Amino acid sequence: MKFQSHGSSVPEVDMTPMIDIVFQLIAFFMVITNFEQNKADERVRLPKDQLAIPAEVKPKHLLTLNLGFLRDSDDNIVDDTPLMFYQGDSLKPQDWATPLLQEARFYEALEQDLADVTVEIRSDGEIPTGLVQELIQKCQNTRAGSSSTQGFQRFSLKAEKEE
Amino acid sequence: MTPMIDVVFQLLIFFLFTLKIVTPEGNFDINMPLGKAAESSVSDAELQPLQVRLEAEPNGELSSLKLNGRDLGSDMQAFKRLNEEVHSIVQALQRVGPADDGAGLEAQEVELDPDFRLDYKYVVSAISACSGRMAADGTPVPLLSVIKFAQIREEN
Repeated sequence: MKFQSHGSSVPEVDMTPMIDIVFQLIAFFMVITNFEQNKADERVRLPKDQLAIPAEVKPKHLLTLNLGFLRDSDDNIVDDTPLMFYQGDSLKPQDWATPLLQEARFYEALEQDLADVTVEIRSDGEIPTGLVQELIQKCQNTRAGSSSTQGFQRFSLKAEKEE
Repeated sequence: MTPMIDVVFQLLIFFLFTLKIVTPEGNFDINMPLGKAAESSVSDAELQPLQVRLEAEPNGELSSLKLNGRDLGSDMQAFKRLNEEVHSIVQALQRVGPADDGAGLEAQEVELDPDFRLDYKYVVSAISACSGRMAADGTPVPLLSVIKFAQIREEN
């Protein structure tokens, strides 16, 4: 008895729906991924507030300063010394003027007036307020060179949106 | 088809691993030109800055919140009371309208005077209470926008 041959024994799988879904997934991730260089430090636990709504227009010149503590995996503070997290370094309060001077010289090289630069302070909610005030004062007193007449003047305090 | 599917999967894995879920962050702007920390730029005697005094416990917790010398409490309800007070001041200013020199709501300043050791989160709550409130429909209603710090208090 003869059986009729059906050609190839390997069944053809229609790949089109899978490729459609995979392309949809890629499009989704491309849209929500933020490629913008983010200077926010993940160790900083920002205070939460319901009025902390992201700004629609970002300042043209932005200097971000991260203040926080060293914390363990359970989010407990390991060391009481407040630190500024700046370009991979953890600076103690007495050294906080150094990065400001570096940034001021950078903006001077760009011929950018410091008064037009917004200083964004991302501070941990448990940092003593006096240290934040002192940082603002240091920013105000920072001069890039002897010819500079004024320091940073615009300040923006960051908070996390409370759901 | 196989090479294309390979590349597409590689792309998918790349985006999956680089995805970082970030909580939205908002700003509270303060404008502090040098030398203006303690002095008011408003000459009108009727439009003195609102003095918000925040006193701290030795451990950094809030011990007292005062608006123009009046105690509003020491818990988180104190910030709600501060918000109500500021709201009523803003409403009064809106009823009166701008002064002869044009000074009105935009000229009303808030001066925050916190203890050195006070936890920063309470200052953010105070700024928030002065700068706006949530309406019943969930939209933010702006109140006062000129917020500054007083002179730094000594650490003790």
